[in-house]
Amino acid sequence: MKLKKSLSEILTDLKINDDFKENIVTWHTIPEKQAQTVPLPEDLHPALVQALHSKGIDKLYTHQKSAYEEVSAGGSFVAVTPTASGKTLCYNLPVLQTILTNSNARALYMFPTKALAQDQKSEINEVIQAAGVDINSYTYDGDTPANIRQRVRKAGHVVITNPDMLHSAILPHHTKWVSLFENLKFVVIDELHTYRGVFGSHVANVIRRLKRICRYYGSHPVFICTSATIANPLELAEALTEEKMVLIDNNGAPSGRKHFVFYNPPIVNKPLNIRRSATLEVRKIAGELLKNKIQTIVFARSRVRVEIILTYLQELVKHQLGPKTIMGYRGGYLPAERRKIEKGLRSGEIYGVVSTNALELGVDIGQLQVCIMTGYPGTISSAWQQAGRAGRRHGEALVIMVASSSPLDQYIIQNPDYFFTKSPETARINPDNLIILIDHMKCAAYELPFKSGEEFGCAGTEELLEYLTEERVLYRNGDKWYWMNDSFPAHNISLRSASQENVVIIDQSDTANVKVIGEMDRFSAMTLLHDEAIYLHQGRQFQVEKLDWEEKKAFVREVDADYYTDANLAVQLKVLEEDKLQSFSDAEIGFGDVSVRAMATIFKKIKFETHENIGSGPIHLPEEELHTNAAWISLQKPLAEMGQERLEQGLVGAAHALNHIAPLFVMADPQDIHVIPQVKADHNEKPTIFFYDRYPGGVGLSEKIYSDMFHVFQEAKKLILHCQCESGCPSCLGTEAISETAKKDTLKIIDSFLSASEIGKEVRTCP
Amino acid sequence: MSLKNKLNRLRPHLSVGNQSDKSIISKESPDIEVPFRERWEEADVFPYFFDHNYCLIREVKYPLSQKHGYYRFQDFLTAVDIWNKQDVSHPLSARGFAPEELFFFDTETTGLGGGVGNTIFLLGYASIMENHLLVRQHILPNPGAEVPLYQSFLENVNYKTLVTYNGKSFDWPQVKTRHTLVRDHVPKLPAFGHFDLLHAAKRLWKHKLERLKLSVVENEVLGVKREDDIPGFLAPMIYFDFIDSKQPDGMIGILKHNEIDILSLVTLYTHLTFQICGIDPGQTRMETYEVGRWFASLGEKEEAEKTLSKLKDNKDAAFFRAALELGFQAKKNHNWEKAKTLFLDAADSMDMLLCLKASVELAKIYEHRLKDLQQAFFFCEKAISLSGAMTDQKLPDELTEERLYKRRLRLEKKMKKPQEIQEISYKNLS
Repeated sequence: MKLKKSLSEILTDLKINDDFKENIVTWHTIPEKQAQTVPLPEDLHPALVQALHSKGIDKLYTHQKSAYEEVSAGGSFVAVTPTASGKTLCYNLPVLQTILTNSNARALYMFPTKALAQDQKSEINEVIQAAGVDINSYTYDGDTPANIRQRVRKAGHVVITNPDMLHSAILPHHTKWVSLFENLKFVVIDELHTYRGVFGSHVANVIRRLKRICRYYGSHPVFICTSATIANPLELAEALTEEKMVLIDNNGAPSGRKHFVFYNPPIVNKPLNIRRSATLEVRKIAGELLKNKIQTIVFARSRVRVEIILTYLQELVKHQLGPKTIMGYRGGYLPAERRKIEKGLRSGEIYGVVSTNALELGVDIGQLQVCIMTGYPGTISSAWQQAGRAGRRHGEALVIMVASSSPLDQYIIQNPDYFFTKSPETARINPDNLIILIDHMKCAAYELPFKSGEEFGCAGTEELLEYLTEERVLYRNGDKWYWMNDSFPAHNISLRSASQENVVIIDQSDTANVKVIGEMDRFSAMTLLHDEAIYLHQGRQFQVEKLDWEEKKAFVREVDADYYTDANLAVQLKVLEEDKLQSFSDAEIGFGDVSVRAMATIFKKIKFETHENIGSGPIHLPEEELHTNAAWISLQKPLAEMGQERLEQGLVGAAHALNHIAPLFVMADPQDIHVIPQVKADHNEKPTIFFYDRYPGGVGLSEKIYSDMFHVFQEAKKLILHCQCESGCPSCLGTEAISETAKKDTLKIIDSFLSASEIGKEVRTCP
Repeated sequence: MSLKNKLNRLRPHLSVGNQSDKSIISKESPDIEVPFRERWEEADVFPYFFDHNYCLIREVKYPLSQKHGYYRFQDFLTAVDIWNKQDVSHPLSARGFAPEELFFFDTETTGLGGGVGNTIFLLGYASIMENHLLVRQHILPNPGAEVPLYQSFLENVNYKTLVTYNGKSFDWPQVKTRHTLVRDHVPKLPAFGHFDLLHAAKRLWKHKLERLKLSVVENEVLGVKREDDIPGFLAPMIYFDFIDSKQPDGMIGILKHNEIDILSLVTLYTHLTFQICGIDPGQTRMETYEVGRWFASLGEKEEAEKTLSKLKDNKDAAFFRAALELGFQAKKNHNWEKAKTLFLDAADSMDMLLCLKASVELAKIYEHRLKDLQQAFFFCEKAISLSGAMTDQKLPDELTEERLYKRRLRLEKKMKKPQEIQEISYKNLS
């Protein structure tokens, strides 16, 4: 029998084995970093000193000390901390210290997921136990049994929860939490960087409601935020909490040696510039590692990818390790399922995990040695977060990023400097998005009547209150607005998904035991749960027998098929109102309100192993309309020397490249911002490219593009130039822009936009 | 704040005589306009002024001879008397209370379920006062008037015990919630006892009523007929409309609806008492059985046996159920012979589940207590065939075919080597 290889042997293998070394384009080693420490604070409570000693801690890292001092001075702060830098002490220490000196003091911890909350409860309880003090910390989420909820409300010093629970269970029932709100000294917001885009805009409003209720009960908590590395942590923290913050970024934690490998699969189709599928390459590499029992985590961008890779890998190691040693992990799974996986990882019964970015967050899953990314995760900070999953504590670790053929991946993998030196992305939120704001004003009015003169957000509170009064949701009596409706508003508002109604997935394989196996937001469901779609769940394949769009139910049955499905979405766009416009001699740049109509059209069946198209079918779903914000750029006059057809292809190609680059600038998931071209835009009859926010009302992404249009085009140009194809390929220009002149035409169009908007660089950025 | 207001607020803490025996409605009217005041007064509704604001209060008195459903209000006095003469521990027992101390209580709210924004706009209650039944309803005339609403309510609830329908999990928690919002302006919520009649109704009538809404119980059990009643689910809409228009007409309909709810609570409490204490001649045998079973689950062995024994004379469904229940009682008392007889009775039932339960109990008693393996085997066989015929139901673990086969296997082994087994089980016992 072949002996198992160790990680260092594998590293050598990668360097010398022809199968691998050819494809490795960058090998970046991040050296170990020494710790920077300072003595424990002198005024630290003896019980805490003892607790730290018992955990082998006799010094603090520099950033932990700064955090402690900031809180002692009564200030709110945001600490930027990479994975495994002991960030929990940044808040646990000052919070516990305060509770020890004032047993009435309360703290509210907010984590983006239940899993993280569970994890942090164990961590803080360890400290409390080691200190031997009488402090109660509890999680409060959907899983908390009814019989202990009462105790959490009355006696929990530290209540650990998530924003959804705060939104729909705690704030609307604040009268049951009087002792918490009267004595709230701290609000801890961990994983701050996850609160961006739509979700972040919602959470900012939940925090507005929280602060409103605190004011009612007479408390003014300090806000403590921790964040992964992003370009604007301070700005985000201040926007989210509407508090003055201090930035703490003097990280003093040590880190182990980390090998960061960029792996570019070989080209298999020269004319089309298609590379071997990243999924297949990941299967090869991960299979090799797992066979040697090296704990590995594989990340994939989408749910579908996760399930495909999982199926491959389980098949591969079925006989050596057993299929249960590799598990999938993603948002759609039910809680019990997820808990089991987390436990298996920690105990070492599970060797491999295939995950969407659900695990990107700081769930403590023990020491994984290797992290493999199937494609660039979309943002630099996301990539670093995922990389942090490997070798979290100390010791050598390997991170492999396998690029896909997508132009963004190719751009990143061919510009390693961009990745290793560029400061990560900006996180944007727009708490004053009217749709989001109005939703939360309803919740706020339900919680406490509004008083005249009160401000909630920046967009004319009184006007909005009057609107809600006209809609007969509120009732004005004297100088107050009261909730006057028989509904419970928080139940109709989901913080997470763009659309507010989710589609429930119902497994009816066993007619005697029909059960719900997951849920999905409405827009994803259009392309993933249409009739006949293959839906994958825990590596099992289901076919959608019927999507009941009215009732929001998808009925699925387990099948055994050798293909998966991929659906197309057709999009139409119309400008409703121009809010900002900059005209130049060759081009104009605009920003405003638009209406987007989207319709799922057809789906393709794609074979697993070969990825060939083996059939297709129509999708019959109603059109969905979206009102949102968009930024656009139009050419003043059509490029005369280009025919209509070449112009159209050039625009499509440019849009394709821009769609890959744009998310880089605004720290958004690619599906959060879309780019579409129009040869003759409806509103100005000029060749135009639109960037629009995927969320109703917009969350500030296209506004950011508007203010930085020049750079987006510049980077898109670089992407196309760097592509090794001669006349355009599916990678850089997409599948629709195929002609001898496509690449040339696209570059020309981009150049004319660039020269036109060179002056546009001066466009004033929005406040 | 004026001194008078201060005094008003402190009234519950000042001993100025018993307020509750007088009408609390002041005929004076400060400088506050009450829309449609005359129309209200025609419907016995008068304003209550407090802190430059007002709420509305309706008061109606009924003579004790008044009939509501099958009972007169004076029967409620009898009911309290019965409890006070009995030494039975029961959740509905009014032992130690005078009739005047019970408050029949119900609210109307602007929405369903808990949550801060679900406003109570009507607090209604009835209690015995000076040979009358007094119904009093406190009405929120607009959302800003919660302070006078709770002030007037709290200075008049001098009760020890609330009687409600689902008030334990709905009405009272909601009162607490809304009270929290005005707690700095009004007296504290008193501590209280609670009879929730929904639980009792479920116990007694789940076997015959599909839904246990109060209106269903009224209609099917209490003989209360409602005429031109506004359905409860319309209450929020009517209230929102009233807030806008100030027109009392719709609200007067709701007051009537709420009043019938409260009066029905009096009748329901009376009826339940007569059921539980076994003095209703019209009691059905199933009701007798449910009362007995309730006592059994409360650990009131004697009462349970007394009640269930009434069902001996007629072999109907109630008889077999009672036999099973009594069998379990006897088993608890280690009275194996008696338990055997009762379970044998129950095993004649045509109800498969009941028969299955009895058979399994018999198999156990014969095997372990009476040491009659033949009989044990017989009942085990019987249980297996019953269980086998009921695979469409979710059975308790102990009654599944699988478990019963294990029992049968063990019995077979024992029957082969009776001597050994006897010895072993003797050792285990000693």
